[in-house]
Amino acid sequence: MGNEMGNEMGHETPETQLEVQPLLSAIDLCKSYGGLRAVDRVSIQVPSGSITGLIGPNGAGKTTLFNLLCNFAHPDSGQVTFDGAPIHTLPSHQISQKGLVRTFQVARVLSRLSVMENMLLAAQHQTGEKFWNVWFRPGQTQKEERQQREYASEILASVGLSAMAQSYAGALSGGQRKLLEIARALMVRPKMILLDEPAAGVNPTLINQICEHITQWNQAGITFLIIEHNMDVIMSLCDRVWVLAEGQNLASGTPIEIQQDPLVLKAYLGQ
Amino acid sequence: MQGFIISLIIFTSIFALFGLGLNLQWGFTGLINFGHVAFMTLGAYTTVLLSVQGVPLPLATLVGALVAAGLGLLMGFATLRLRTDYLAIVTIGVSEMIRLIAVNEGWLTRGTLGLQGFPLPLASLNPTFPVRIVMLLLITAIVALGYRQLWRSLRQTLKKLPPEAIVPITVMALGYGSSLGLLLVGTGWAAKQLKPLLPAWGLGCLLLLALTLIGYFYIGLAQRLTKRRPQWSTGLMLVSTSALAVCGLWIYGIAIDAIYHYEKSPAKTGLMVISVAILALIYWGLEKLVRSPWGRVLKAIREDEEVTKALGKNVFAYKLQVLMLGGAIAGIAGALYSWQLTTVYPDNFPPLVTFDAWTIVVLGGAGNNAGTLLGSAIFWAYYNVTRFILGDIVPLDDARLGAFRIMLIGLLLMVVMVWRPQGILGKKEELTLGQ
Repeated sequence: MGNEMGNEMGHETPETQLEVQPLLSAIDLCKSYGGLRAVDRVSIQVPSGSITGLIGPNGAGKTTLFNLLCNFAHPDSGQVTFDGAPIHTLPSHQISQKGLVRTFQVARVLSRLSVMENMLLAAQHQTGEKFWNVWFRPGQTQKEERQQREYASEILASVGLSAMAQSYAGALSGGQRKLLEIARALMVRPKMILLDEPAAGVNPTLINQICEHITQWNQAGITFLIIEHNMDVIMSLCDRVWVLAEGQNLASGTPIEIQQDPLVLKAYLGQ
Repeated sequence: MQGFIISLIIFTSIFALFGLGLNLQWGFTGLINFGHVAFMTLGAYTTVLLSVQGVPLPLATLVGALVAAGLGLLMGFATLRLRTDYLAIVTIGVSEMIRLIAVNEGWLTRGTLGLQGFPLPLASLNPTFPVRIVMLLLITAIVALGYRQLWRSLRQTLKKLPPEAIVPITVMALGYGSSLGLLLVGTGWAAKQLKPLLPAWGLGCLLLLALTLIGYFYIGLAQRLTKRRPQWSTGLMLVSTSALAVCGLWIYGIAIDAIYHYEKSPAKTGLMVISVAILALIYWGLEKLVRSPWGRVLKAIREDEEVTKALGKNVFAYKLQVLMLGGAIAGIAGALYSWQLTTVYPDNFPPLVTFDAWTIVVLGGAGNNAGTLLGSAIFWAYYNVTRFILGDIVPLDDARLGAFRIMLIGLLLMVVMVWRPQGILGKKEELTLGQ
């Protein structure tokens, strides 16, 4: 954490960042919908082990950028590199398998599956996910299932959802859904998680809880890229912040630098 | 009577199998397939055409299932990007295409002339005593396993009830069910007596009036009972399950007798043993599958494809597998269907057959394999019972009676949907959750 090397005031060029090999980097990503250039030559770097923020006014293209990073939408041009390999040509499920997992802006839980099933689903490379293995390797399937169940219980316990494990995910409250979604992303055992507004529509106590969890998991080695409008969250969590406006890079720097950047103040923070 | 029950068992098994395929695709994975009959048609024609050429029946059936699975693969690739309504349109189009090919490609399928006199399984078999015993044991084992499962689910329902409530709700349900049954039978009997005496319109009006009154009274009664004792519908469930269990034993007795006297109608008895065995095997396999991590991915796709993708699952591959597996099962059902009908015409496979399967799945409860079995049993019991009884009661000629029976099925479906929108064995919580 605390990659505050190579800081100069104001705007940095991507080149200065390349000294530290970033875990995720996107270069010159473009995406148009009809005549609208939703993302226009956006570059972003996320150093390994950091918590990086992504802010910008509504409609700045933050969520579209997330979609491009995970190939949920295919970029018109530009490239994305994760862990040293290009990923913008991979189908999105393979990106998740490589350890880059996303969450959604409006928490999307699988309603008619239990909370536990939501968690178990996220485990990768399960023997029982191939249908012939269900019949021909039942022992291995069950063994893995037991292990995953234990791991899932641990995570659920750490976010305080243990009591809900057997109820339908659709019966959870909004805040609990957010927690479940993050917990589920952890279950993938990822290198990096993209969080889309983890604090939106959540009460202050729960926001604090979520922030604590994020710090904790970050210390355990998971890199985060977070879209968030709640500036307190950004300021308290992030090592670096990238700012988008109207589909373009506006600025990047430490939270303090960003708060003082006149361009950012004008476009996003007001005053 | 015995022949009738045997064919009822065969039809129920075939359509249960057919419905299980659809249930896998729609109930578990959420793929709306309005062309399920296409798989059945392919399975039936492939099996029959190959067996006419001298290919042994098990092999022919296997090839039939594979061809049906191949259609699933094609459909899957063609509909890569389609979901819900659009997929439904493509599937219904494909099924009509397959039927029209069967009508028009006379060199292959003999078109509307149809295929007759093809080999039937175990038809010329005269089993020795030990073989009969083996068949008996096989059927007995399947029935026993079925009852074990029934008993388990009953016990679970009972556990949820407070013990002191069991007796009153059972009595209530028993009274409700038997008095309603008696009233309906009584009305039917009276109508039968009146039929020669009254003009058709008079009898029709009387019947309608009587049924409306009975319906009105009993729906009101049900509502009042629900207010006083909310669990009484569980009692209804208990009573009907017990009735079903007794009924099942009676049918089992008949089946056993038929196997013991195998030589009386070898083709039908053999087909019954085969269909029940295949159904049991596939049911068991599917139950194992849907409770596995594989089945969990299917349910996740039903809930939200994007999330499933984001969690690293290859959604497309799973959809293909499901279309193929469901298709193969329907293909096997098609082979059994052709043996049961002993003739195959394109007209045996109209789009209506697809919707019969939908009725079965919806009636039993989507995403519940046991429900599909129950749905199929109810569907065919209704279908056959009404064929014999309604003719004596309702003042309609045969052609109209056929349409009337289908109308009644629609009505039955509506009543079930109002009373239990989740289907008979479906889970209510799953319905109210939504997104």
